[in-house]
Amino acid sequence: MQRFLRLSVLLLGLFAAASSYAADAPPPALTTEDDLGPAIEQPIEFPHFRHAGDADKGGMQINCMYCHTYARRSLVAGIPPIQKCIGCHQSIESVRETPRIKKLFEYWDAKKAIPWKKVHDLPDYVRFSHERHIKRFIFQLNRPVQEVCGYCHGNVKEMTVARRSKLLSMGWCVSCHQQDHPVTDEGGTPIGNQAYWYSMHKPPVDASGIIKAKGPNDCSVCHK
Amino acid sequence: MSVSNLLENWSDFRHTHPVDDVPHNPYKWAMSIDLDACSGCNACSVACYAENNLPVVGKDKYAHGYAMHWMRIERYWDEDGRDFPDQGAQFLPMMCQQCEAAPCETVCPVGATNHTPDGINSQIYNRCIGSRYCEANCPYKVRYFNWYDYPTTDNVWPAEMNQQLNPDVTVRGKGVMEKCTFCIQRVTVAKNNAKNEGRLVHDGEVWTACQQACPTGAITFGNLVDPESKVHKQWQAQQVELAKDAQTKDKEEGGSELRGYRIFEELRPYPSVMYLERVRESAV
Amino acid sequence: MMNSGSVKHLAGHPFDRRDFLKVLGWGGAAVALSGCGNGSVEDGKETVVSYVETNDYMIPSISVYFNSTCAQCDAGCSITGRIREGRVLKLEGNPNSAINRGKTCGLGQAGVQHHYNPDRVREPLLRNGDQGEAITWEKAYALIAEKLNGVSGEEIAFLTGGVSGHLKVLLGNYLDSFGSKNHFVYEAVGPAVLRAANKKSYGVEMPRFNINKAKVVLSFGADFLGAWISPVHFSQQYAQFRKGVDGQRGVLVQIESKMTLTGANADRWLVVRPGTEGILALGIINALGTATGDIAAAVKGYDKARVSKDTGVSAEQIDKIVALLKERTPSLVLAGSAAEGYAHGSQNAAAINLLNQVLGNVGKTVEAAAVVPFPQMAPATGNTFALKTLNDGLNAGKYKVLFSYAANPVFTAPGAMKFKDNLAKAGFKVAFTHYLDETAMQADLVLPLDSALEDWGTQVPEYMAEGAQINIQQPLMEKLHANTRGMGDILLALIKLRRADDYKKYDDYYAYLRAAVLQNKGALGGGVADDDTFWNETLSKGIIKLASAAHALSGKAGAAGLSLPAPSAIDAQYPLQLIPSVNASLRDGRNTNQPWLQESPDPLTTIVWDSWVEIHPRKAAELGIVEGDIVEVTGKNGSIKVQAYLFPGIHPDAISIPLGRGHEALGRYAKGYGVNPFQILDMVFDKETGELALHETRVKVSKTGSRVIVVKDEGPAGGSQMGKKIAARLPSDKVKLSEEVYYVG
Repeated sequence: MQRFLRLSVLLLGLFAAASSYAADAPPPALTTEDDLGPAIEQPIEFPHFRHAGDADKGGMQINCMYCHTYARRSLVAGIPPIQKCIGCHQSIESVRETPRIKKLFEYWDAKKAIPWKKVHDLPDYVRFSHERHIKRFIFQLNRPVQEVCGYCHGNVKEMTVARRSKLLSMGWCVSCHQQDHPVTDEGGTPIGNQAYWYSMHKPPVDASGIIKAKGPNDCSVCHK
Repeated sequence: MSVSNLLENWSDFRHTHPVDDVPHNPYKWAMSIDLDACSGCNACSVACYAENNLPVVGKDKYAHGYAMHWMRIERYWDEDGRDFPDQGAQFLPMMCQQCEAAPCETVCPVGATNHTPDGINSQIYNRCIGSRYCEANCPYKVRYFNWYDYPTTDNVWPAEMNQQLNPDVTVRGKGVMEKCTFCIQRVTVAKNNAKNEGRLVHDGEVWTACQQACPTGAITFGNLVDPESKVHKQWQAQQVELAKDAQTKDKEEGGSELRGYRIFEELRPYPSVMYLERVRESAV
Repeated sequence: MMNSGSVKHLAGHPFDRRDFLKVLGWGGAAVALSGCGNGSVEDGKETVVSYVETNDYMIPSISVYFNSTCAQCDAGCSITGRIREGRVLKLEGNPNSAINRGKTCGLGQAGVQHHYNPDRVREPLLRNGDQGEAITWEKAYALIAEKLNGVSGEEIAFLTGGVSGHLKVLLGNYLDSFGSKNHFVYEAVGPAVLRAANKKSYGVEMPRFNINKAKVVLSFGADFLGAWISPVHFSQQYAQFRKGVDGQRGVLVQIESKMTLTGANADRWLVVRPGTEGILALGIINALGTATGDIAAAVKGYDKARVSKDTGVSAEQIDKIVALLKERTPSLVLAGSAAEGYAHGSQNAAAINLLNQVLGNVGKTVEAAAVVPFPQMAPATGNTFALKTLNDGLNAGKYKVLFSYAANPVFTAPGAMKFKDNLAKAGFKVAFTHYLDETAMQADLVLPLDSALEDWGTQVPEYMAEGAQINIQQPLMEKLHANTRGMGDILLALIKLRRADDYKKYDDYYAYLRAAVLQNKGALGGGVADDDTFWNETLSKGIIKLASAAHALSGKAGAAGLSLPAPSAIDAQYPLQLIPSVNASLRDGRNTNQPWLQESPDPLTTIVWDSWVEIHPRKAAELGIVEGDIVEVTGKNGSIKVQAYLFPGIHPDAISIPLGRGHEALGRYAKGYGVNPFQILDMVFDKETGELALHETRVKVSKTGSRVIVVKDEGPAGGSQMGKKIAARLPSDKVKLSEEVYYVG
């Protein structure tokens, strides 16, 4: 009897959930991983390919975090302050008179912030930490910066104005977090001396002593 | 997620928690509140409004019981039939007790409230469908429902006031249940900093907003599984054990001389908040 | 403009520290609505703004902290503001301040709601009929200059609340520039009688009370956990006191006619007939039997039988107190506002202070306080006598120009004083204000002030906790409104109109403040540090701690001149004593427009958003009143209608209505909620100090016939635990505190 009650409560709840969802605005159009976000007009058409692109394609291979300097120490990657742009461009005479750079100096001289549009927006109830991901993949697993940033941001080094190229939905995030990742070296020493998460279930230990665990999968880690 | 999957997880949860083979590691957040120090001044409650974006509902809605105070001070009088309360009043700060076997968690039809590995009863707002089962099942009555859209139609934070909102905490809309989270946003920041430095969170590194404000220092918060933490030492000194529904010391004849107790322990929610009984001088 | 130590120069653009506090784009960052779907995802719609230029410590999503001083009351707690993306989000206590040691009260927490308040005045307003017309500051200053032209010093009056620090210095200099001595410092509920009594008893107005060193605290209506003098400081002392000296837990006995928050925390709460606190104190001295000489003579007539009859406290209870005081030393006796609110308030306070002397507490638990060695910065403390003097002057038409700052007498003066009418007789009234409060509504010119979190300043607390300290007030974020000004900046601008040469070197109040502090660098502990370093360190700490000598306490006042009247007979027409209570969060009503405080339940009644009258259940039964009855409280000076709340913690011959509500102006969260008992107070004054005797109003209560549901937090069970162990209690002989693990949080 009790089991039945529990089940009925559950089913009722599911029904309620489903109907409230149906009552919501039209469901979002189906998207695949290849679907891009909208093309966005920015106040200055910033050429990412020129700054971060490969040398053979005319790029300068600047590290993403040279400009998006907050990414490794904050939740947000941040848009660089104009002073960062000016820091270099005040001594790059060759492009000084191009339309984009002229625009840049107009903002600088007027001491006005550039009203960039957000390209990668997450719901406001989500807490995503750039810092954690960068600490993990770049500083602990020594993966290349552009590869790591590209997990979520796509191939920005070939873009002019950045455009969203990943879903950034919860299911998309979880698809990564659900995979087993090694969290310790052989012998069980945590990689990067970090405590690992194993939620309600203790992760399996393989023969060499490496513990593999899923990424943090606790709701409250990402939902604030 | 299929129904069978849900059921499986759910029964698994009830079955495995709290048990010894899944210890809280490395964190179990808990609190102790000394009622002899608590003066009932309400600073904790206001601090909670400031930290957690709690809406001020106004007089009419307050009258309907829609107040959103995650931390409230309950005031009790002696019931000895005397003319004057000559031993003062009894104050009790009451907020979510972060039960280990939380009655609210099991009845949520959508899993919007669930247990985190570090022992907090989390509330995922965007998952909540507003069934209010959890509220009905909470013996402490510390869950609060958004009957109105406070941020928009009710305009609880008119221009400028909205600039005070804490960006680390979601502003809840209509139809969502909410409650004390042990200031999980502060815990998250502390855990993040600790991870960066390859260590665990130190005792005293995280303060809840109520604890930080409390003028008498009545509230202690920390990691119960850290043997060096103040909260651990207090629980230990008071012989209150998390996983028990009746403490051994309470079976002593003539009553225990220790002050620690948990409210509604007999209902077996295994709350994470220990209170220390108020003391009143027997000589006067 | 200054360049702070950590500031960098880039491309020839020096930074102003205030630039860092600019508000970053925060559009949807905070306000998120939950629910299904990704409703709040707006790729390409939201703007993400970055600083034009910034420095290293400003990182989006990471908080920075600046220290300042809480301005919600005059206790002078140091605060630390959490600032993110240029917005101040929360205030915490500054752990380095001896006054509050990292703690805050609810009132302090609500300081951000003063800053972000939607009802702040944003433009200078000039009266045009019953409208306020926005004008420029230039015009406002010109107007003031014009109105002051040809007016003598005696015809100018400056009304303020408590002021201290450099603002007080500047204000004094401004008044000097007219040769005016008319600075009226007014506090509606300040401890003015206590100051005078302390001066007589101990030689200083405000000694230090070491609650934490006392084993017994006998408090005559001093609500030190609620609203008395420096409640956050006393609350911390109280926590230590409860843990005890040498493991012996401190015992608190509270004697008062209406239970305060402190009374609710007492081991023994004794209800006393209103006004007989002094008699009880003398009775205790008599029963102690240790007094000699003139003190013994003075208390001779106060035998237990008489005292018990006069005060309503049983002889047995007096014996218990006496035994406790004899057994446990040192003790501490506190004279609070409840004992002082009578025509013989000074005498009550003197009798209570005498008890400290007899018990030998002076020098132990009553100690000399440290003094800031700059007397010109010491706080000008306010009282109601100043208001009375000003009111008499206004009535006589003495003042042509009146300035008012940080005081709202139209709201807080007794209605019988007719302050509002008399105010109209002043020629030109200028109000410096944050809100259009009742007084500002009567002004001819309203000048909007920066909030306390936007302004610069120094503050010297009246109650010094340990060593002397000067508190620094500094902006925690950029100004919200372009056209508000700091009070210091306004005064500087005004004084420049008078003494341009002396002040022309200061661009603004900030420059003045910096120069004034650096001028005394040596005395302020700056040593050999260079100016910039010392100044930046000072700002970073938010406090200047000073080595200073303390005034010695005299403590030998004796009983000369002590005479207490017999308890007054019950007035047949107005049989009840009205106790206007001072609530910890609303106080005199200046902060009522902060909604967190309106919604924060009164600790004792749990009522929100409204006023109430507390009536003892026995008296209520006599009068046929039940909870929620709207009753009319009538005195000689008018009546107010208010909901009844049956409250066991009050003398049956007294009723109590809290102060702070009943605003007719101030703002959307204050206006129209509750009643204002200031309006019906009787004009009775303390015989020695001339202070308004707040508790001397006699009233009667009658039912109006209507009834409401009282909006309160307590549930239908009222204060009952329904037999459950919820808030539990142990007698002290059943607990071993000395074996507990205890931390001062």
